[in-house]
Amino acid sequence: MEIRIVVDNIGKSFGEELLFSNVFAEIVSGQCLTVTGCNGSGKSTFLKIIAGLVRPSSGQVKLMLDNRLSPNERIHYMGLVSPEVSMYAALTGIENIIFWTKMRGVACSAAEAEKVCQQMGLGKNACDLVATYSTGMRQRLKLAVIQAVHPPIWLLDEPSSNLDGNGRELVKELIFAANRQNAAVILATNESGEALYGKSTIKL
Amino acid sequence: MARVPSSSSSAVWAVLTKEALCESRTRYAVGALVMFALTALSSVSMAIAGMSLPPELAAALLWVVLFFCAMAGLARVFVQEQEAGTLLGLRLYAASQAVFWGKLLFNLIILLGLSCLVVPLFTVFVAVEVGAWLPFITVLTLGCVGMATVSTLTAAMVMYAQGKHAIFTVLTFPILLPQFLSAINATAKILSGDIPDLSQYLFMAGYDSAVVAAGVLLFDYLWQE
Repeated sequence: MEIRIVVDNIGKSFGEELLFSNVFAEIVSGQCLTVTGCNGSGKSTFLKIIAGLVRPSSGQVKLMLDNRLSPNERIHYMGLVSPEVSMYAALTGIENIIFWTKMRGVACSAAEAEKVCQQMGLGKNACDLVATYSTGMRQRLKLAVIQAVHPPIWLLDEPSSNLDGNGRELVKELIFAANRQNAAVILATNESGEALYGKSTIKL
Repeated sequence: MARVPSSSSSAVWAVLTKEALCESRTRYAVGALVMFALTALSSVSMAIAGMSLPPELAAALLWVVLFFCAMAGLARVFVQEQEAGTLLGLRLYAASQAVFWGKLLFNLIILLGLSCLVVPLFTVFVAVEVGAWLPFITVLTLGCVGMATVSTLTAAMVMYAQGKHAIFTVLTFPILLPQFLSAINATAKILSGDIPDLSQYLFMAGYDSAVVAAGVLLFDYLWQE
């Protein structure tokens, strides 16, 4: 099944302050779209509008499945890694992964959650409380959650923030692997290197 | 291809166990609730110095303690999600009804657990005798269901507001007032050695059904911001 997200002339303003307007974009399964722009240009808001978490002030976002409008709400197809999304500090890494996958109706055993943690470089810390994690480890856990949920559309907002060189490589591999598995990736970034991952780019 | 958020019993259970696990590790709500109950009951006990209170006053005291305990801790279920930054993820990945039922059941369990602590202390500190335990437990359970449901809904309403704790109490009290007055009347009857009328039970059960139905219908709108 081919997924197509059509961003049709959307704009967003807060009160009288215009954040962005007249944004058009289109992305299909297996592709990566990068969104760039300076701080405060509205990249995070743009991703939240695509996810269906924030309403645009004008225009609309359409989700097409094999060229037909999706009967389900588009939020059900999305996964989001963002600085604004936190994990539960009172749960362990593995408990977080199991909880979030259960919420999305994805079966994930403790062994599978531990395996994803290892892939994301959390290894021996997978059973520790998230409260004891560094910011980089928390970022890796967010990547582990989206990997475990494996949604058809990945929304990545500054996914490399707080990550070391190894973590940045991991993000690159994750994006290419998601594309290979036919997921659409929308990547908001300030890193010039990451901006090259996309087949197309929009600048806000 | 789309993994539609599950609102099944397993998702409700997942929310409930997550709440219980987080609470057992942080003791955010239970600590506030228990401390408030102990302080209120011991203060009244010392103030009345062994005097016995009339049943109406004792019943009102019991429900005032339970109400303010609820106000002290039950808003946590949504307020803490907002403050910790986990709310956005929950809105993205979870079904609204699973969140509502999971959090409602957690609040109810907390409130019933608190009642198990408060009632024995209340009978000792305020020197009242409960003659008919079955009607008393029924009234207590019906009152707690109403209180937990209304608290869960209003907590969801105020989670984005500034001064959320004050607004939470101000919003919850008028909605809860009919159930609150019925519970006090029914409890006063029991404490005076009588048994509440069937109509009192029916009113309380009807109120609970109405607020639960309103919660199920309204929560989707609150959840979508």
